[in-house]
Amino acid sequence: MTFGAPAGATQFMALSAVLFSLGLYGALSRKNAVMVLMSLELMANAVNLNLVALSRFTDPAAMTGQYFAVFSMVVSAAEIGLGLALVLAIYRQKKTIELEAMEELKG
Amino acid sequence: MAETVDGIAFFLLAFASIGGAVMMLSTRNVVHAAFWLLEVMLATAGLYLLLDAEFLALVQALVYAGAVSVLVLFTIMLTLRRREDAVRPFEPGWGALALAALFGGAMLLAISRAQLPIGAMPASVPTTADFGRVLFTQWAVPFEIASLVLLVALVGAVWWSGGDRR
Amino acid sequence: MGHAALIPLLPALAFAVLAPLPRAWRNRLVPLSVAAVLGSLALSISVFARVWPGGHEAEPLVAFSTAFAHVGSAALPFRIVVDPTGALMALVVTIVGSAVQVYSIGYMHREDRIGWYFAVLSLFTAAMLTLVLADSFLQLFMAWEVMGLCSYLLIGFWHQQEGPRAASIKAFLTTRVGDVGFLLGLLVMYATVGSFDFATVLHGHAWEPKAATLVALLLLFGAMGKSAQLPLHVWLPDAMAGPTPASALIHAATMVAAGVYLVGRALPIFEASGVALTVTLVVGALTALVGGLLATVQHDIKKVLAYSTISQLGYMFVALGAGGFAAGMYHLVTHAFFKSLLFLGAGVIIHAAHTQDMREMGGLAKHMPVTTAAFGAGALALAGVPPLAGFFSKDEILTVLLHEHQYLALAVALAAAFVTAFYVTRLFFRVFTGPPQTEGLREAHVEMLAPMVALAAITLVLGFAGPAIGEFLGHEIPWPEPGVAATSVGVAAAGLAAGWWVYGRRTMVVNTRPLKERAGVLYTALALKLYFDLTYDHFIVKPYARLAERLAAFDLGVIDGVVNGAGRLWNVLSGLGSWLDVNVVDGAVNGAAAAVVAGGERARAIQVGRVQAYQALMFGAIVLVMVLLVVKGV
Repeated sequence: MTFGAPAGATQFMALSAVLFSLGLYGALSRKNAVMVLMSLELMANAVNLNLVALSRFTDPAAMTGQYFAVFSMVVSAAEIGLGLALVLAIYRQKKTIELEAMEELKG
Repeated sequence: MAETVDGIAFFLLAFASIGGAVMMLSTRNVVHAAFWLLEVMLATAGLYLLLDAEFLALVQALVYAGAVSVLVLFTIMLTLRRREDAVRPFEPGWGALALAALFGGAMLLAISRAQLPIGAMPASVPTTADFGRVLFTQWAVPFEIASLVLLVALVGAVWWSGGDRR
Repeated sequence: MGHAALIPLLPALAFAVLAPLPRAWRNRLVPLSVAAVLGSLALSISVFARVWPGGHEAEPLVAFSTAFAHVGSAALPFRIVVDPTGALMALVVTIVGSAVQVYSIGYMHREDRIGWYFAVLSLFTAAMLTLVLADSFLQLFMAWEVMGLCSYLLIGFWHQQEGPRAASIKAFLTTRVGDVGFLLGLLVMYATVGSFDFATVLHGHAWEPKAATLVALLLLFGAMGKSAQLPLHVWLPDAMAGPTPASALIHAATMVAAGVYLVGRALPIFEASGVALTVTLVVGALTALVGGLLATVQHDIKKVLAYSTISQLGYMFVALGAGGFAAGMYHLVTHAFFKSLLFLGAGVIIHAAHTQDMREMGGLAKHMPVTTAAFGAGALALAGVPPLAGFFSKDEILTVLLHEHQYLALAVALAAAFVTAFYVTRLFFRVFTGPPQTEGLREAHVEMLAPMVALAAITLVLGFAGPAIGEFLGHEIPWPEPGVAATSVGVAAAGLAAGWWVYGRRTMVVNTRPLKERAGVLYTALALKLYFDLTYDHFIVKPYARLAERLAAFDLGVIDGVVNGAGRLWNVLSGLGSWLDVNVVDGAVNGAAAAVVAGGERARAIQVGRVQAYQALMFGAIVLVMVLLVVKGV
């Protein structure tokens, strides 16, 4: 895409793909539980952007993507709330929020 | 009649969001990372505005930029015993990087091959008022369920993070 | 919406009301659950009376119809449909369900979680009724899974104790193995026919033998899990850790019979296949005999009944495998009544004797006349003594086998009948005769006795309704033929006599010795449950645990990094050397085993509880699929 030319669905999807991949990288590599949760939010954000953009470019009158994005936001807001509560609960037990400290399953 | 998204505005906002995400992942200070996440969320809200989704832009700013960021900052604050703990060595995670790059590459390849509308998009008719009307008629049941999900999440969060019972 | 739709709805509503309440309120609202199931019973009777005159020729009664989902243009319907089979089954479920709930008021009144117990019982009743009143395989499957959940919850009702908790997990996982088969069968069915409806799948489609065999065998596998057929029977004896009335309803009368019901419903597919019928016959015959043999060595009264249930369900599969739909369903119905009666009797006995071990019982007959009489009626029905219901239905199965020229199956079935009569006698004499070993034996309260008397009365008269039921279902159920009847009674009498010879004529406390002395090896094998549990433990559970341990060590090794790396490398090298050594010496057999172990170890490496590893694996798989899609250009 040349700078300044109108952006289309391709550009939005590409942006969303890049943001999602960055979030995926963060979620896979960070050892800090809060960082992982933040990366998950980044991924959810990329998905929402995709939904809204594709809805706008295909059938804007129906706004289906926007409704989906609203519900998706609700779910990810609930998720981060619970996730952080869990982090706090684990912190109280283990005095750390490193993910390694949470591995107790040995098969 | 067809409309377009302003290319310059899109470019700036895309740069802001990707740049913010990169900074969030590369900074060594967790508190800084939280602020960079806030920046990404605000840039996304701007992108929603470009897509004529005013209501979503507002929700994005309120929920993500407002509530979630504060929540994240509070959690960081509560789980740090010393100020220095916020700074931690950078963890490259080469395997994760390779996987994410592969994923992104495959995604971009697929997008480049897909037949997608270029530039032009249909004229947008609905307003925020229309959005609200449909949300509370056609989507009323999912909306109520969503509110229930939030309520349950709230109760669960209070339960888990509540004071020391043990 | 016809009022037949209320049959499953009433118990479902009772669950919906009870489940969310706090414990104290729930415990007080137990009568609500009982009232709901009694309401269902009344409705079932009225619906049955309405369907009865038309018999199998009348159109099925559609009481309720909606679509719960749309797949493409096809709707997936949720319907409550009453046809003769469904009406009969609904009647059986509500009668046994009512009896069990009334009985449970007395049996469970000391439990502090009685409200939860009744709520789950209601949910189960609703699910079972939805299952029998379904007219599509998908709806049947949904109700089937809900029943599985209820079974899990009730087996693990006393989840504070280790035994019930382990038993509930075992039951859930074992039936789940079968359910995977069922689900796959449904997928193949939809791919082949494009519908789940009974009418379309069973009568509106010309089945190819191959497709029919595949679908039928997969459905049969699901049924084997639910109905505890060999080799998936191991969960049912353990399931006896749950409350006894729940066992009576779920693990004797209704849920375990759902597999039989499924095969019965899908019988046209089995007949189109042919092979599947034979498999059903073989599985059923083996289960009938093995279940009966295992029942003869159990000391736990409930486990005797559990193995007996397995054996009787095998009988039903034999009938279906010979193409005898009516015979199988008839035995299902009679078995539901007399086996739930036996379980309720066992509950009274356990309450009175404060133990489940028959070696610690004896002499109950003097103190508990009503229970003895009712239990005796159930036991004789199980043994196949005329004029009780069990005689007629068992005889009907033998007749079908004779007419279909399945002589081997007939011989096995007769052997199973002999064994059945034997273990029933053993059970009866051990519990009810001889010197009492417990102080203060008392007859149970009326709310526990009344359901038993009612079930016993049904068991007494139901046998004479056979031909009428056959006409109602659209398949002939003739009166017993003299020859078959004489053989079957003779076999039963021989079993009873043998049981009396070994266990009945001694007045002292009987122990295991008489039988053990005469058949040492066989007895040991039976006492170890024919090695089924040991086999599973040895080849599936233990290697899994061992591999997990080794993997944990392997994982730690990787994390510890370079410092340990050198030492570990040496270790690995020497291990490799010794492995080569052993391999060279012991040859290919050990090599194959080692390869399997190594593969298992590799597979265990990811199960160490690191969430991010799971996530990476998931996205790795997604990337693979995406690359495939992009390369293929879809």
